[in-house]
Amino acid sequence: MSVKVISGDHAVAYAAKLARTEVVPAFPITPQTLIVERLAEFINDGELDADFIPADSEHSAMSIAIGASAGGVRAFTATSSQGLALMHEMLYAVPQCRLPIVMANVNRSLGAAAGIWVEHNDSMAERDSGWLQVYVEDNQEALDATLMAFRLAEDRRVLLPVMVCLDGFILSHTVERVEVPGQEEVDRFLPRFEPCTVLDPAEPKLINPIVPPEYAMEMRYQLDRAVDRSREVIAEVDAGFGKAFGRSYGGLLDTYRLEDADFALLTLGTATGLARAAVDELRSEGKRAGLIKLRFMRPFPFQGLREKAEGLKALGVLDRSVSFNGGGPVYTEVAAALCNVPTIVTGHVAGIGGRDIAPDHMREMFALVERAARGERVRPVTWHGLRGEME
Amino acid sequence: MGIALYEVRFHGRGGQGAVMAAQTLAEAAVIEGMHAQAFPYFGAERRGAPVTAFARIDERKISIKSQVYEPDLLVVLDETLLDVEPVARGLKADGRAVINTRRLPTEIDLGVEVECATVPATTIAMEHLKAPIVNTAILGAVVRMCALVSMESMREAIESRFGEKFGEAAARTNVAAAAMAYQQAAVGRCKGERPLSSREEWLPTWQEVPIGVALGEGVKGGVTVGPGGARRNLTGSWRVQTPRYDKGKCVRCLRCWFSCPEGCIKREEDDYVRWDLNYCKGCGICAQVCPAKAIAIIKGGQG
Repeated sequence: MSVKVISGDHAVAYAAKLARTEVVPAFPITPQTLIVERLAEFINDGELDADFIPADSEHSAMSIAIGASAGGVRAFTATSSQGLALMHEMLYAVPQCRLPIVMANVNRSLGAAAGIWVEHNDSMAERDSGWLQVYVEDNQEALDATLMAFRLAEDRRVLLPVMVCLDGFILSHTVERVEVPGQEEVDRFLPRFEPCTVLDPAEPKLINPIVPPEYAMEMRYQLDRAVDRSREVIAEVDAGFGKAFGRSYGGLLDTYRLEDADFALLTLGTATGLARAAVDELRSEGKRAGLIKLRFMRPFPFQGLREKAEGLKALGVLDRSVSFNGGGPVYTEVAAALCNVPTIVTGHVAGIGGRDIAPDHMREMFALVERAARGERVRPVTWHGLRGEME
Repeated sequence: MGIALYEVRFHGRGGQGAVMAAQTLAEAAVIEGMHAQAFPYFGAERRGAPVTAFARIDERKISIKSQVYEPDLLVVLDETLLDVEPVARGLKADGRAVINTRRLPTEIDLGVEVECATVPATTIAMEHLKAPIVNTAILGAVVRMCALVSMESMREAIESRFGEKFGEAAARTNVAAAAMAYQQAAVGRCKGERPLSSREEWLPTWQEVPIGVALGEGVKGGVTVGPGGARRNLTGSWRVQTPRYDKGKCVRCLRCWFSCPEGCIKREEDDYVRWDLNYCKGCGICAQVCPAKAIAIIKGGQG
């Protein structure tokens, strides 16, 4: 193990290297480019034995990853925003073909209004593609989640692609203290990739043919079950990672000072850190505030949430993306999960287009959730840090 | 050493190395066994434009990822920013400042009266690095101003960061620049008399933002959405060197006119040229491409 002061992008690149990725097809896009640049350097310097394939678009990059994975090797790529949108068509092929590709998506808003800054709407738009999605809080988790992603994706009970989502710039370009595990430790944690289906000229087969209605529905349900089953494997992998490296993250979700809380906020991504600080502040004032950190958007922890929300009078949900006229996608999902329990669920939209979520915004969110917990009527969805009164 | 959360804000101009300075400070803190983070204000990096970077240091793991609004320490890499930016905004009353200037702390009016170190970082950088990249020099003064990290850890951090990126020789000269700045820094109290300069910003409410995403004339301020239209945002203010045109030597080849990335060289009817200094950033390309040496690049923002 070595301690490094590195960006979130470089933390992901180290993870992909330590996972002994064999093929890296990539197309550059800010703020992801540092990941594939660093991987290209590792390969060039002989530190990673892999093929770096510069693709002519993200659509091609994902196509190449599919080919590589179907060919029986470990494939990794990274993208962001418009790049992910351009991959959209190919993304859907991966889960149903059961190819365990790992991809980092550095969250960035989709234009227009065009920007290079963080927003979760790029990956949220792919939440029904069948990819598993994990969102991380800091650079250490970016590295750890990427390593865990390979083990999770390749588990025979799962065999699904995993998207590791990290907030653009706030993680991708921020340097932090990161513990980079040694190769031997990682080799013990992550066994060699044993592909399930391998394209082999000696044994010709067709992957991803046209599927008539007689079969498609069963295939979809099979995939639905696989995504659902991955919940157990996520818990296992997280525990195994904790044993190997001394850090674990709670699997699908984590909590902070939630045990006796009256009200709590649910966050994902980097906003979680600020919410922790806000909870500490409120607790020091004697208020029973807590935090739920959602890690996986898919599989979504419907059951886990119901258990955690028990005893909560109100739960606010912070979204860094918008589902137009419905608040945010996380809010609607949480509201669905808690539809039969008495906990009041409020939606909170903040940090859109990269706007900084400042400590004051966070205090405002908690204050609103606290009011809801006291039985006051509050808006179903509130935008924080918005100029101009809400309608 | 034990410290609670300590927040630092760096103000510089693109090219001075503010981001590297923040990262190096963070690395020095990690070398001392603390937790640290460093990040830029995420904009489009442009040489000469005002840039901001942030660092946080704590004994414990740092969870906050917001920008720094109330810094404990302010590091100013370019003195001229004090006139154009509200640099000291939010600086804690018991905060500190480190400023790159030839003047003494008592001669500086920061807008807030605090403990302050001044250092001629540009002179030091020119001597050691032969370039006005002042980040490592200013870090020497930062160590002098506050006992956040030791000079030994700072040296190690500079060697690590600069060595990895630019090689051993660069690491050595940067360490030397920091060491000299540590020696030369003058510590005292700066003045807090002037009001903080304010930048004119158009911050519309959601109702006021025109429909659609368009950048056009006739809309408020010449801009609908964004940081500022070109009419208001005179990018020539970023200039730290200026072209001087010797019309007598000009052969009217128009290479400068063709090569100017800003399009701020205007072609006259007789094919001589003139500069629109409101937008010239002093990149020097015109002087480089001129075959007749009719264009010289002069230090300073005024031609």
